[in-house]
Amino acid sequence: MKWLLKIIDAARPTFEEGGKLQILNPVFGALEHFFFAPATRTIGAPHIRDPLDLKRVMSMVIIAVIPCVLAALYFFGLRFIAMIIVTYAAGLTVEAIFAMVRKEGINEGFFVTGFLFPLILPPNLPLWMVALGVAFGVFIGKELFGGTGRNVFNPALVGRCFLSLAYPKTMAASWVEPSHELAGSLLTWVSPPLDAVSGATPLALAKQGEMGSIAHQLLGSVSGSAGETSAILIILGGVFLLFTRVANWRTVVSMLGSFIVLTGALILGGAVAYPMSGVFGPVIWHLFAGGLLFGAFYMATDPVTSPTTNTGKWFYGIIIGSTTVLIRNFTGYVEGVTFAILLGNIVAPILDEIVIGIRIRRLRNEG
Amino acid sequence: MKFKGGYNILLKGRPASTVKAMPEPKSLYLPLSSERFTFTDIRVKDGQKVSGGDILATDPDNHAVPLLAPRAGTVHLKAVENHIVLEDVAHREEHADIESKEMQHVERQMGAAGIKRYKLLSLGAWQFFHDAFTGALPDPLGTPKAVIVSTLSLEPFLTRGDIQLHKRLLNFTRGLEHLQSLLEYQPIYMVMPNISSEFANLIRNQIRGYALVKMLEIPLKYPYDHFAILARRLNLKPDGGPVWAVRSEGILAVDRALTLTKPCTVRIVSIGGIGVNMPTHMKIMPGYPIKKIKENYIFEPAARVINGGILTGKILEDDTLGVDTECRGITVLQELQEREFLGFIRPGWSRHCYADCYLSSLRKKFEEKYTTGVRGELRPCISCNYCEEVCPAGIMPYLIHKYLYADMIEEVEQARVDLCVECGLCSYVCPSKIDLRKQLIEAKALIAKEKEEIRQEQLRQEELQKQQEEARKLSEEKAE
Repeated sequence: MKWLLKIIDAARPTFEEGGKLQILNPVFGALEHFFFAPATRTIGAPHIRDPLDLKRVMSMVIIAVIPCVLAALYFFGLRFIAMIIVTYAAGLTVEAIFAMVRKEGINEGFFVTGFLFPLILPPNLPLWMVALGVAFGVFIGKELFGGTGRNVFNPALVGRCFLSLAYPKTMAASWVEPSHELAGSLLTWVSPPLDAVSGATPLALAKQGEMGSIAHQLLGSVSGSAGETSAILIILGGVFLLFTRVANWRTVVSMLGSFIVLTGALILGGAVAYPMSGVFGPVIWHLFAGGLLFGAFYMATDPVTSPTTNTGKWFYGIIIGSTTVLIRNFTGYVEGVTFAILLGNIVAPILDEIVIGIRIRRLRNEG
Repeated sequence: MKFKGGYNILLKGRPASTVKAMPEPKSLYLPLSSERFTFTDIRVKDGQKVSGGDILATDPDNHAVPLLAPRAGTVHLKAVENHIVLEDVAHREEHADIESKEMQHVERQMGAAGIKRYKLLSLGAWQFFHDAFTGALPDPLGTPKAVIVSTLSLEPFLTRGDIQLHKRLLNFTRGLEHLQSLLEYQPIYMVMPNISSEFANLIRNQIRGYALVKMLEIPLKYPYDHFAILARRLNLKPDGGPVWAVRSEGILAVDRALTLTKPCTVRIVSIGGIGVNMPTHMKIMPGYPIKKIKENYIFEPAARVINGGILTGKILEDDTLGVDTECRGITVLQELQEREFLGFIRPGWSRHCYADCYLSSLRKKFEEKYTTGVRGELRPCISCNYCEEVCPAGIMPYLIHKYLYADMIEEVEQARVDLCVECGLCSYVCPSKIDLRKQLIEAKALIAKEKEEIRQEQLRQEELQKQQEEARKLSEEKAE
């Protein structure tokens, strides 16, 4: 790949300070470092470094969501590719503009947001809304706080939250009944609003007293956001993230655990009643329904917006899990994971503050 | 405190367990500074002939710890900057004893126990002792609260205890007895990888009845052998008096100084790393020309030569010509040469990763070829918490990093940056490539400086008050 390096080296002066395209330096830098790792050397001890860098961390997340992306393609058709492209184009524009203004490099964080955002949208959402949502999410949710590493909220969820509050009707009308044929909708293009078969999500149906089969939820042949329908594929990717330690298992375990315990307790206590009988059945049904698993594995585990301390992560997960139960069962909304995680994002710094305060008090007596 | 954090990095170039005698050099280049010492008080004249064991210089700031002449030779003071050069080096019978006149003088002043300590200091054994908490040289005349003896050296690739002790077990136990004779009732803690091993039993049998020795078994994980970590593990507090800490080579030096009354100059230094053709251990003396070591062992011309281990050592600059008195190992590392194409999506079959993000986590243990590359771009902290998980001191490096970023020095102090043992693991694991070790060390220095300034200010105030009071008294007397 020497020829490519030569081209890059030859082009560099144009983008460096004093060059004609100086303003595009962050874009050039991002491209250069995409292809070639930087040549920086350590200057003192420790003289060696771990191979893991942010690019690798982010590509691990992208690898983990690939099953979900394929499932979205299978169930909801080629239109999903267009959604990804639109997300990348709109989001990267915002990201690049901010990088140019700040004169910093473009951070890798967006590449994950660009994959996660279309996965949590209704599959039939108009493309201009996809663009608007991601631009809003990146701008308000991330860049205003200072970019990657300093954001309080998960940018993808901010974008989705904005869309569902600003365009509730379009959002609600954009659910698609997935294809039940063997070939799926692999080569079809379902586009709004004419030929779409609007399908209510399992959670919406449950509010009307109709609970579908758990097997469909497991496979993913139910209506819902593009990437959140197939429980089994989400668990597959999620477990991969846990094994590589990119996602912290504490958040996932406490979030899903508290969700299961609280839902079970509510059923046992008679506070909620489902058309499905028993305790175990409805709990598992709810676990697989909607965006709970996707949120637990991919959204809540975002290291930047979740608490840093391990103790904080336990409480963070519990807060998200139980808030989801409360929203799903006792409010007018059918789905509450987005709001629950955003609420968790708000609480995260406070949880950290408390845990760190205790730890510092303990450290004071050390040595 | 329990052990926490820590991480073993497996790199290629681990020194073999052999110890090779190096050829006798013609000239020695003794650097006037090492990790802890700066020898400013020069005791010899230009052109003077010295014999092995003579004191060439001392460090006035560190209890006059001496720089000994390892061999007989002619002194050249100004030949190379910051070095004392010994020419026409010859391996004659070493200067066997301290002059009897001086000895009597010392004995009169300090008593029988004092003489042992004087021998340790002037024969070069004392420099192997550390204060467990600060790492500095302890006061040779002081009384410690406890002594930590560690046979471990876990940082790659410093000389390990088993190599130092090979065939010298008797000397080791004798050294322990000598050490015990310096103490009254204070315990000696022996730190070993396995306290039920044959070796440990041998030591136990040998020293039974002589020394109050307690054994402590620790897992072989870097940097659990760090003296500050060991002291905290043993629940020793810094305010209760000094704790001495010494490695196996120090005990052997004690034995040599007190049994044979001979200077301790020859030491075993490891040479390891990827740039070395045959990683091994060398028997050399301080001042041994680095050029000769390079000629013998290093095949890589563009390699980085490090004085010390790979995680905490300092780069050996070209103007340092000889091995210094505290050197425990020389590590050679290849400099990063090529930029990797699409490095972040490679499977990474031969790459170690703290977070298991490469395919190699499915492999059995193996040694990786590391270079000096940072392997990524500098990014803002993403709060991944790896640095806290790996930190053996139980502090939160990311938090201190954020406080430093916001200039909150008081909070940095409260977060106990002073507990940092500078092991370098936080910098090593950071995926955002933040040099946390450097930042923490700088913060420690800054806080120490501020504290010193406050102390000076207080002294000045007190002085001023005293003067004012005296002036008032004087004027009152005059008025009377």
